[in-house]
Amino acid sequence: MKLLIIEDEKELTVSIMAYLRQEDYACESAQNYKEALNKIENWDYDCIILDITLPGGSGLQLLQYLQDDKKSDGVIIISAKNSINDRIQGLKLGADDYLIKPFHLSELAARVAAIIRRKKQDGNNVISFQEIKVDTMAKEVSVHDKRVELTRREYQLLLYLISNQNKVITKNALIDHLGSEEMGQGESFDFIYTHIKNLRKKLQQQGCNDYIRSVYGIGYKLTYK
Amino acid sequence: MKLQSQYNRIAVISTLFILLIAAFGYYFLLRYVLINQLDEALKVEEVEIEDYIKKFNKLPEATVYKDQRIAFETTKHLKHRSFKSIQAFHPGENEMESSRQLLFTVEVNGQKYMASVTKSEEATENLVWIILFTTVTLIVLLTIILFFSNRFLVKKLWQPFRNTLSSIKEFDLTAPVNIAMQPTSITEFNELNESISMMSQKVLKDYQSLKDFTDHASHEMQTPLAIINSKLDMLIQEPELSEKSMNQIQGIYNAVDKLTRLSQSLLLLSRIENNQYTDTQLVSINSLLEEKNVEWQEWMPARNLRIAMQLDTLNIKMNRELADILVGNLFRNAVRHSESGNTLFIQTGNNRLTVSNTGKIPLDKSKIFDRFYKSDRSDGSGLGLAIVHQICEQYRFTLSYQFVKGQHQFAIGF
Repeated sequence: MKLLIIEDEKELTVSIMAYLRQEDYACESAQNYKEALNKIENWDYDCIILDITLPGGSGLQLLQYLQDDKKSDGVIIISAKNSINDRIQGLKLGADDYLIKPFHLSELAARVAAIIRRKKQDGNNVISFQEIKVDTMAKEVSVHDKRVELTRREYQLLLYLISNQNKVITKNALIDHLGSEEMGQGESFDFIYTHIKNLRKKLQQQGCNDYIRSVYGIGYKLTYK
Repeated sequence: MKLQSQYNRIAVISTLFILLIAAFGYYFLLRYVLINQLDEALKVEEVEIEDYIKKFNKLPEATVYKDQRIAFETTKHLKHRSFKSIQAFHPGENEMESSRQLLFTVEVNGQKYMASVTKSEEATENLVWIILFTTVTLIVLLTIILFFSNRFLVKKLWQPFRNTLSSIKEFDLTAPVNIAMQPTSITEFNELNESISMMSQKVLKDYQSLKDFTDHASHEMQTPLAIINSKLDMLIQEPELSEKSMNQIQGIYNAVDKLTRLSQSLLLLSRIENNQYTDTQLVSINSLLEEKNVEWQEWMPARNLRIAMQLDTLNIKMNRELADILVGNLFRNAVRHSESGNTLFIQTGNNRLTVSNTGKIPLDKSKIFDRFYKSDRSDGSGLGLAIVHQICEQYRFTLSYQFVKGQHQFAIGF
């Protein structure tokens, strides 16, 4: 899987690339409009991570180019602007997703994975981790081919963990992902704790090994090692 | 009191006062002059009587002719002549009348006589009164005319000032339209208008740059925050980190989250101020409340909060995103400041939304909607209610807070 990261902030690019490389993506980067256009013209990418404000041009122009050229690269916009209009404009121009800065790398990785999954033409919507199988179309989870009934939130959590396997995911990132940042932090942490606990219990009830490890109270890690 | 009434009052009172004094003075002066004239006429009579005596060496006949009476009495002493104002009987009119009398002594054949010539003052008095009446009528008329002309004239003169005043009243920082000033022929008002125009332009400029500053500052913060977040996300993947280090990192994460929410709230505020939420639609407040209710129930079963909703139709034409934020913030505020087992009351209907939660002491009404105002136990950003306030301002909704029977009650009148 090949990714292109178009972002003028070098430090951010470095982190994004380091994180995504660990997920076995081949990553390239572009720091300005010209460089980005050059790469887009010459190569096909599975997913492009695109900053809107670039030196030498706008990310939206690049989107326009991709659309005009009928390229099928998946695009995820990362922008400092949390504006509905920008979002709508970006999505109209063919972007697949829109992520507002600042974000957690685990969130970016999960969204990149989702886009790549959607773009795949082979009709296989099942992703698996050890004995856990997740059908992302039907939103169904099974362990040893036995259905596990999960709530919407538990399903979201599991998918997020699988998209970031072997990585420490902070509770803060999980809160952001589930959209429960509305509450006070203490309560949000309780909320995450409760849902992880329930998820674990439900998986184990179907004979699944416990792969969810708690990491020093900062977060969780899905790993079989 | 209006300037005009004040002016009119002073003008009328002073005019009346001066005119009254003048009327008095006029009356006495006129009377003095006329009596003098009467005295001159009496003197003429005196001369005639003396001439008569010289010529015929006898007293003329005592006569009563019209309003003049001549009489003689014997006397022993010679006296200087003197004028007197007296009440004398007037046979013609058959009543007592004020009269003017001249007394002087004459001598006829060694006999001294006191001669008196009396003339009625009636005619003089009448003249004085007629003149006075005319004058007073004129004064009253003049005052009335003065009153109304002042009213009209002053009103007209001050019209430019009133125009300016209404322009200033209509001036709204959030809907920046330059104050339109009509030029006038009065220098002072022109100067006033010019200074106000200049001042308003400066205020608008400063306000705009302040808003832009908030907007830019918040925007510029996002990328460094993104870098911090991403570095931390990488850092925690290191296997050799101790629990202690992880705890430190957790602290940084929490601070970054807080900063992120803060800058996003500030951005939201400046966007609302900049009228960036323009598209409106009919929003059902009730369905938003239902949504929030479901979300909160899901998020905090442990809190054991009861949410009592009494909903009557409430559809408002506004921006959907802002409606969502409005309802969400009120909801969050109530939930955050409730304790386990409390009940939240939410009521809609009659173009009104009321959200109440249990509380111990009333909050400071004057500050509660201020930016960054936080009650002691609040761990929020202090912007939630400020955002609610801003949205209400934008749509001219009325937002109120009351503490009733141990309940914090927030109400919006749409």
